[in-house]
Amino acid sequence: MGGRCNEDCDWTGVQNGPRILLIELLGYHELQAYCGDLTVKRVISDNATRDQSQHIFGKHGVRAKEILQLVEGQMDRKLSVVGLSEGLITFTRIFSPLSPCELMEAERHTHVFHQCEPDLWIVMVVEKSKETEEALREGALRAVLKDAHNLFVLFYGSLRALLQSHPRGDVARSCLHAFFPDYLSDFMTGKKFRIPSISESLTHRGTVQLFSPQRETLLEAQSLQELLKSWSGGGMVRHVMILFHNILLSSTLSPADTTTLFLYATLRMMPSSLSQAPRSRSSSRRENPAAGPAGLLASNLNNALGPSRLRNLFTNLTTSPSSDVVPNPHISDAHDSSVDDQGTRSSVPRPLVHEGWWRDADNFLCTDAWGSETGRSKMLPNVTLRQSEERLNLCVYQFRSLTLVMLVPKSGGSDLIPNLQGQLLEKAAHKIQKLEEKVVKEWPGSNAWHVAGYRYLYNDSNNKVSRFSPASKVATLSLESLAALNRIRQEIDLETGRSERSSSMEDRELELCVRTKQNAWVIVRTRGGLELYTVLEKASNTLLLACDAVEKLSKRYFNGSFSSD
Amino acid sequence: MASSGGKDSSSPIDSNGRVGREHSNPEAISALYEDLFENDNSERPCYLPDSGQEDYSGDGDGVGDGDEDGNSPREIVQKGRGDSVVEEKGELNAANGASPEASATQMNNDSRESGSDVGTLPEDLDARSSTGNEDEIQEKDHEFNFRDRVRAESSSTERLVHLDGEMSSDRGLDGPPSPTSSQGGTSGYMAGSGSSSASTSSVSGVEIGTDQDTEGIGSRKEERGVWVPGKRHSQEDDSHPSWRRHKKHFFILSNAGKPIYSRYGDEHKLAGFSATLQAIMSFVENSGDTIHLVRAGDHQIIFLVRGPLYLVCISSTDEPFQVLKGQLELLHGQLLLILTKAVEKCFLKNSKFDMRPLLGGTDVVFSSLIHAFSWDPATFLSAYSCLPLPYVTRQAACGALQDMTDSGVLFALLMCGTKVISLVGPRKASLHPHDLLLLSNFILSSDSFRTSESFSPVCLPRYNATAFMYAYVQYLNKDTCLILLTGDPNDFFHLKECRAQIEIALRESDVLREVNNSISRGGLRIEDLPDSEDLVPPEGVSSREDRSSGDGASTSAFNSVPGAGGAAGLWHFIYRSTYLDQFVASEFSPPLNTRSAQKRLYRAFQKLHASMHDTEASGPHKMQYRRDENHVLLSWRNSDFELYAAFDPLAEKSSAIFVCNRICQWIRDVECEIFLLGATPFNW
Repeated sequence: MGGRCNEDCDWTGVQNGPRILLIELLGYHELQAYCGDLTVKRVISDNATRDQSQHIFGKHGVRAKEILQLVEGQMDRKLSVVGLSEGLITFTRIFSPLSPCELMEAERHTHVFHQCEPDLWIVMVVEKSKETEEALREGALRAVLKDAHNLFVLFYGSLRALLQSHPRGDVARSCLHAFFPDYLSDFMTGKKFRIPSISESLTHRGTVQLFSPQRETLLEAQSLQELLKSWSGGGMVRHVMILFHNILLSSTLSPADTTTLFLYATLRMMPSSLSQAPRSRSSSRRENPAAGPAGLLASNLNNALGPSRLRNLFTNLTTSPSSDVVPNPHISDAHDSSVDDQGTRSSVPRPLVHEGWWRDADNFLCTDAWGSETGRSKMLPNVTLRQSEERLNLCVYQFRSLTLVMLVPKSGGSDLIPNLQGQLLEKAAHKIQKLEEKVVKEWPGSNAWHVAGYRYLYNDSNNKVSRFSPASKVATLSLESLAALNRIRQEIDLETGRSERSSSMEDRELELCVRTKQNAWVIVRTRGGLELYTVLEKASNTLLLACDAVEKLSKRYFNGSFSSD
Repeated sequence: MASSGGKDSSSPIDSNGRVGREHSNPEAISALYEDLFENDNSERPCYLPDSGQEDYSGDGDGVGDGDEDGNSPREIVQKGRGDSVVEEKGELNAANGASPEASATQMNNDSRESGSDVGTLPEDLDARSSTGNEDEIQEKDHEFNFRDRVRAESSSTERLVHLDGEMSSDRGLDGPPSPTSSQGGTSGYMAGSGSSSASTSSVSGVEIGTDQDTEGIGSRKEERGVWVPGKRHSQEDDSHPSWRRHKKHFFILSNAGKPIYSRYGDEHKLAGFSATLQAIMSFVENSGDTIHLVRAGDHQIIFLVRGPLYLVCISSTDEPFQVLKGQLELLHGQLLLILTKAVEKCFLKNSKFDMRPLLGGTDVVFSSLIHAFSWDPATFLSAYSCLPLPYVTRQAACGALQDMTDSGVLFALLMCGTKVISLVGPRKASLHPHDLLLLSNFILSSDSFRTSESFSPVCLPRYNATAFMYAYVQYLNKDTCLILLTGDPNDFFHLKECRAQIEIALRESDVLREVNNSISRGGLRIEDLPDSEDLVPPEGVSSREDRSSGDGASTSAFNSVPGAGGAAGLWHFIYRSTYLDQFVASEFSPPLNTRSAQKRLYRAFQKLHASMHDTEASGPHKMQYRRDENHVLLSWRNSDFELYAAFDPLAEKSSAIFVCNRICQWIRDVECEIFLLGATPFNW
């Protein structure tokens, strides 16, 4: 795929920088010639991977004449992906004007299209390798793109707004460049890009996992939220989201925003993903990864290897590296010439950078990912809510495993934040501590959701909540059962999409029981927006018994939402 | 490929056929070919069995069209053709000079050298491909033909027709499977056609009657307007909104982007669209990949590359990808059946080769196949169905056919509509269900086969995609069709004799009458599902013993209220025998009265079947139970059979399972009547 590079290239090496730039600019001109009326395009590829890569391709039909391309390796391949995507979108509009091309399946590649905003597409190209022979569920792949876009909007606002405010696309481009390598790095294991596989068939992206504690505890959490929100006559804290470990306790945000913020918090704010030591903002991150492996935390070396390669590409592009690379004159063509490299760099936050957060002594989380060099200052990062489109500051307090994510208006004045933090430490810290203790007591452990004999996924698409068997338990399932489940989910996804489009969503109900070749039962129940996927291996022998078993599960754990009576 | 002799011999059969005409079975509705001549009823659908099936077919793919209507232009043409045939028959013999014989024989020799297992592999296509040149030459000689200028391709074909009167007459019977003209090798008797076999590939036979018959001319003109008969909305192109709204498009194009076939619209006008499709496909191909599927909203675009041919389906039906791909493969198979794989060589020689003339007039074959995609389970089950017959009757039929296979007949096939009465073939080879489906579609969709005995080259793609076989086709009565396949293009007279003997044998053993009985009786009905397993065996035995009672499908208890489906809310079932490659589907009965309900169920079965089989990683499923707002569907599969049953959406799981077991038991009890058993003495 596009991400293929020459065998001899070492992507951690800085020497690739200039070459990439050259290719990029070649692409710039060719694309411009090639694409005619297309105004803004992006192709970002995770060059580090051999078998999969991702292309981000935006199409914006309003104005500007800038085509931006970040590419390495086979230029032709990139161009052809962009050209093909454009062609397919145009072509499919003939028959399906409202929802043009969503998927292109070929012998060796799958292209997944996600129209993230009007006239803007993200395209993911997955090479079908022999190892991942199982057809991957289209929905799972698209969810990766949806997540990416949601996070992007959370951090930078919508792409469209960026393009409208900066018609040349340079800002949007540098944001994308800052964002995607970090985002994709989470899918890297070693040098490989690992996309969702069938082993994740019993999970659902884009949902939160909700912990339902005792009523009392829940009330306590809610009263804490109310307390925070009521300070200073209200409005000082707009929204509060409370997490315990990586599970949501309570949120005052809309489901969509909760999901995105939840995803971010679980990705980067969990105690395990925090930077270990409070640090002053050093230059280590600025170092070229190849030049200074010391810049990477040793503990995270393996994980950081992939991102560092990506990062290498991107930093070399968006900013002239501080190292010994000769600045390419074309850079300033691509950018606003008045913006110097330093300026560009500091203006583009990298919220998903690994270990971008750390915990201060006062239990507040700090970050330098937003580019502030004064890491210890209380300058807060800001995020954009999808629903209200307002920009709010992010203030995070973490006590042991309990994380409080507060959203604070930006306009509150400079003393607002210290004020809030002081109040919180003074008045609420005790409550938080008590709450944490209670929750810990109730917390049944990481296998809390395990139901013996069942492997299940419960998904409430209305509230974007899901619940599933722990991964360690799912791992005991045979590959065949998972593959069968994957297939069945694909079928259901298609049907759901179809019925959604036909807007005949009047509480559709479906019961599906499949006995696989290996005698496992895969049972699906859907009703309204609720879905329950169950895999029973060697449990029951007959259809009736298997269905009864699922009925029991539904009654006991899911309020009988799926019961037939 | 008509022979005047055919007419004589066929007449007694016709009268016989009339006997059974009053049958209530839908297929019995099919028009008698005599009517074609006498009444010129231009409204009649061209592929008669399908019109019979119309009740439960309901091809709603198009914008409010039924395929049946769509064929009327074709029908007119057919009629014209038929007329011409009749009139020319007399002249035929005289006209068939001996001169072309030489070439015919030579051709046969060639074909033998090619040494396929069929025995003869005439390189007809090469010959056909040269047609163009011949056409050009002939063109100069025949500019007098006023029609020639209307359109280039058709003009060339026509010229040919006018060239050789004798061959045109042959072709007239040949009908839509125009390319069949390459029957050429038939015999001295058929020599006229033989000589022209190379040159007449494009003759669709349609044009033949025109000179003598004003009606024919009229119809032909109409045909010209739409270019291809058997197609709806033929004036549309991709700029028409209505064209874009058709639910299911099929396209065949060459890898150079030349349109070969389009289900809707005019191929000429769709040239630009074809080029776009080709561009997409070759774009992906250039990157070392092959495009399979594009999905956009409810639409799926399925691509299939077969050699130099591109096949594309654009569908907004909810059929799964695998099903649509299978349909494209069948479409390709149908193309091969008409032309053999040798057509690919033409593209090697000239990538801009225009294949449409070779397929002239076969449009109706494709449209009826596409129509079958939405009513005939054989298209996705990869199995064929048999006409229920008492065991002894079928045995007698097999016996009659078996005698002939010893004398050079490769396959002998007795069919009633799409249903097989008897099939006999060599021990080692068998007829693939798809071949059977395509062959029967080819024959059923072409009216000309009904009118008289025919001898036509066909290719069975699964049996041998590179060579032609020769099919002797004769309707024994209006429904029952005898097909004898041979590898020898000179076998016409031999097969004719065989047919006569078979006919006598069938008549003596009352097979044809039993066939008529069976037609009137219909297939298995869910209402007849035996109440308990104990009751069945005696019933089955008795019906077997007393075949004059004609009670092929044993019936016992009537345990269900009429109109409410069968036991436990059973609505319908399909049973496919794994070893026999045969299936049996119950008759549609209330509450599946409406075409849309039947089609919905058909699609649901299609999807269920795909879901059961489409599991690359995990292997095929064993059982599936599915309840949605429309049905409860149960599918059960083991090494012996696959069962697909539909129930009322409120049906109880346990009773549904129980009923499924009863169905299986029932089928087992009557399987010697509803299936053509491999255990017959005439094992193949």
